[in-house]
Amino acid sequence: MDKKIVFIKDTGISLPERTKDVYAAFLNGLRDRGMQDSVMAVRVADIGAYSQGVVIKVLPDTTYYNVKDADINRIIDSIKEGKAVQDLATRKEAKQLRIVLRNCGVVDPDNIDDYLARDGYQSIKKVLFELKTQEKVIDEIKKSGLRGRGGAGYPTWMKWNFAKQMAADQKYVICNGDEGDPGAYMDRSVLEGDPYSVVEGMMIAGFSIGATKGYFYIRAEYPLAVDRIQNAIDRCYERGLLGNNILGSSFNFDLEIRLGAGAFVCGEETALIASIEGRRGTPHPRPPYPSVKGLWGSPTVINNVETLANVPYIILKGGDVFARVGTATSKGTKVFALTGKIKNSGLVEVPMGTTIREIVFDIGGGIFNNKAIKAIQTGGPSGGVIPKDFLDTPVDYENLQKLGSIMGSGGMIVMDEDDCMVDIARFYQRFCFEESCGKCSPCRIGTAQMLNTLSKIAEGLGELSDLDNLRRISQAMQKAALCGLGQTAPNPVVSTLRYYQDEYEVHIINKKCPSKKCRNLLSYKIIPEKCKKCSVCMMNCEAKAITGNKDDGYTIDMNKCVRCGKCFEVCKFKAVSKE
Amino acid sequence: MSKITKEELDNIAKQPKKEDKDWIKVGMSSCGIAAGAEEVFKTLTEEVKKRNIQVAIKKCGCVGMCSVEPLVEVNVEGMPQVTYGKVDKDVAIQILDDHIHNHRLVNDHIYDIQVKKADG
Repeated sequence: MDKKIVFIKDTGISLPERTKDVYAAFLNGLRDRGMQDSVMAVRVADIGAYSQGVVIKVLPDTTYYNVKDADINRIIDSIKEGKAVQDLATRKEAKQLRIVLRNCGVVDPDNIDDYLARDGYQSIKKVLFELKTQEKVIDEIKKSGLRGRGGAGYPTWMKWNFAKQMAADQKYVICNGDEGDPGAYMDRSVLEGDPYSVVEGMMIAGFSIGATKGYFYIRAEYPLAVDRIQNAIDRCYERGLLGNNILGSSFNFDLEIRLGAGAFVCGEETALIASIEGRRGTPHPRPPYPSVKGLWGSPTVINNVETLANVPYIILKGGDVFARVGTATSKGTKVFALTGKIKNSGLVEVPMGTTIREIVFDIGGGIFNNKAIKAIQTGGPSGGVIPKDFLDTPVDYENLQKLGSIMGSGGMIVMDEDDCMVDIARFYQRFCFEESCGKCSPCRIGTAQMLNTLSKIAEGLGELSDLDNLRRISQAMQKAALCGLGQTAPNPVVSTLRYYQDEYEVHIINKKCPSKKCRNLLSYKIIPEKCKKCSVCMMNCEAKAITGNKDDGYTIDMNKCVRCGKCFEVCKFKAVSKE
Repeated sequence: MSKITKEELDNIAKQPKKEDKDWIKVGMSSCGIAAGAEEVFKTLTEEVKKRNIQVAIKKCGCVGMCSVEPLVEVNVEGMPQVTYGKVDKDVAIQILDDHIHNHRLVNDHIYDIQVKKADG
């Protein structure tokens, strides 16, 4: 008989880790009963549950949470008897659902046969030989309710339908892989982990609108993604999956890569088109939309990587199957790049409608260093912050918008009590200021003025009228900027002002930073009662702002202090205060 | 390379999904490579050859647990399919010694457990 396998992990956060103790107790229990050869106990590093005390998982499907020492022997006895301890066992359902990432981490991204073995190119076959018409394909996408995963959430079928209806000799499909939001890397992972799915998605999009040519627009900072997509394209040509008469049908489709040179604005579709055409990457006014007049004047559909990775799944399983997942207005799943002050940073894919709390605490494992959560940020420089009071909001396009943020491409940055909202707003504003292409004045001047004002506040020179100014500039930019970059650049400021105006006011009126982040507002002091006069702080002070001697103690001259925080860090006796 | 035809795709679809042989997968996306997956991959390939173990060493993309890269997923007959995280050269060898050879799971490095249907 196979050995029974038992996994053990202490998931509690308040005490030092006890996994090893529980493991030892478990082994003892096994030995007492002579079961050490029939049961294998293993200490694991992650058991999929957090803050649930000691978790013991008995394969295949029994999991015990909050196990007390006294329960260990009961569990061992139950294993012997071959049934679960009823009053302790609970079953937990998996919260993640993998549609976009269905092949990521499963297939060898360079091996087309791996992809073929996992329903690869079955969808394009279905399109060419079963659905046969463009209308039917678009209808399937319409049924699925798929919306653009690049951020704005425009229904994919409508985009495709517009381009399909245009009469033109040449049409194009573009995959937007110019992922630029700080902290977001979902598209990179999909391109690197499952390039063939995106290629297949492109082919289906091409068929649906009547395009015979597609471009991957990938930023040059993603060399591995570029390599893998190029390899995927080459293999597809070799096997007759790209080129003329694909699978013996009359469908022809060619694919090529274009590299983005690292400008954030080139993720905006009109700027992206300009960049592919070899022109300067600046946006132009819409309409006309790219689906009417896009690349080289031809109707063009631009889809995000994640959107395209959904397409083969939808075609193969059917739009109605896809639409069963999600909320009323947002169907399917969303991939988030969970970063910031979170224990398990990484990619998560959850059904739309999952709450932020589930994502952060049940999947992400909670906050790093057991600090308190303050807010999460979604949508990158175009999004906003969502305070902790709204953690139970189900994530979908509309809900996030109501809260003043956006879904965005899927960056989710978790912030704890040490993060200063003025500093966050300033960070994003600087990003937009640097990335603004400068073509239209609302964005060029607006971002600069907002950044100046925020810097003023962070340096303790702010006035209360600055807040109104920020709001006025924000409104002007939202209304008058030419493209999405400028229109959404004020969002981080607007949303932090909406929820954390008091924090701004403390910076302005009290000249203090409650999170102790804004350097110029900090002051350091040595607490004589705690000081052991060891002189370590003085020796580490590069600005020579600390003076004194071993008899009289030390003092910090705030006029000389550059607020580097070194004295605070090196003092073992916590005798340096930071305020 | 032969061209793929519609018939060939039909055949693949009809065939029952092949039972996977024993394999070890190393996550080799940017996140994994940055954390040292290439060395792990090299170690595993060399050691398996040296010891003449019948197990395929494959590479794959990112499964999402980027904070504990490099990730190594192991599937051998008679053992649950598990993912080891924070794997370095030493842990890689430990996986071959303990998990593959002695059928004994390695402590403290398991980050994910897939329960195979056959087990249930």
